[in-house]
Amino acid sequence: MVAGSPITLLQRETAVRYGTVPDALGAISVGPEQYALVGDEFLMRTKDGLAFHYRKGQGVTVELGAQADPADEGLYLNGSVYAAAASINGFYPLHASAIAIGGQVVAFTGPAGAGKSTLIAELGRRGYPMVCDDTLILSTPAAGPIRALPGHKRLKLTASAFELTGAAQQERVAQTIEKHYAIPAAGTITHILPLTALFLLAEGRQAAVEPVRGGACLRALQDDHYTQGLFLAANRPDRAERFAQLARLAGAIRIYRFVRPHDARTFSANIDLLEEHLHEFEGADAAPAKTRETSL
Amino acid sequence: MKRADRFVETEIDGETVVMELESGDFFSLSGSALSIWQMIDGTRDKPSLVAAVAAEYRVAEAELAPEIDAFVADLKAAKLVEGG
Repeated sequence: MVAGSPITLLQRETAVRYGTVPDALGAISVGPEQYALVGDEFLMRTKDGLAFHYRKGQGVTVELGAQADPADEGLYLNGSVYAAAASINGFYPLHASAIAIGGQVVAFTGPAGAGKSTLIAELGRRGYPMVCDDTLILSTPAAGPIRALPGHKRLKLTASAFELTGAAQQERVAQTIEKHYAIPAAGTITHILPLTALFLLAEGRQAAVEPVRGGACLRALQDDHYTQGLFLAANRPDRAERFAQLARLAGAIRIYRFVRPHDARTFSANIDLLEEHLHEFEGADAAPAKTRETSL
Repeated sequence: MKRADRFVETEIDGETVVMELESGDFFSLSGSALSIWQMIDGTRDKPSLVAAVAAEYRVAEAELAPEIDAFVADLKAAKLVEGG
């Protein structure tokens, strides 16, 4: 497979046209604020009358209700709809934001509010280009490196994150969302790179970066974000297959926990500490991901 | 004594991670716990297992037996091991 093909595939699969969206997938009717993913199809309706239907090979159909906020359309397209289309096509969505360093991708995961986007904005100020914000789409072939697709979402920050990072502010994301779009200071990656490391963001009194090893890696990768729900609905792995997926991912990347206080006064020093650890990834093609065999 | 049929395992960072398929629970084994797990191969009863581990680690059987009893009990509770 050529390097650019997953990008092209997802661009084609998420191409939008406007029209009428069905009320149901098979026997499953989908009302406001509901969605269904069945086989190769995804159907979703918002409470404001937006509806989206994706079918593999046929792209996305959008139906605009009279009450719909046009800004919401893009948010859903880049959120649930994109993650569903990616999952149906075998890609693995991770709830993470990511930067590029030394020709590789380092990602940061954590629940909403953990500081992923703020961290990406600050690392951008320090010269690290953004790969993605909020959702990292991975290509996970049976062997070889895990590949990170370039992001499909724009960077979104809260007012306090703009204050902390000095990022350039753009328009408000939507009337209902108190965030604005931001320009990543070191630019955005537009090509596929190998994923080498994942940092779990956690809050704690003392800033520290700690390696996560062994079985703890599998636990760390059990993500409860909605994108994982879509992936599991699309691929329906049994327990052994799910274990193998997590083991494949854990076996290919290095995992760390980045603990720090949520305190504006120590923010810069905390990122200094993280950056010291990021330096080990700077030698392009030098920092190999883990190499090991699984016995599955 | 033998391992149950319904589990999968993988090696990560020198640990063997075993998942029991019915419950989805998984366990990380390393060091002596991993050695014991590997020695539960269907050819040994518990006294033979104690003897084999004692020989490998050069420890008196009487000293090891309670720990192995407890570990095997954990493995049985997790449905990873069956038989006596």
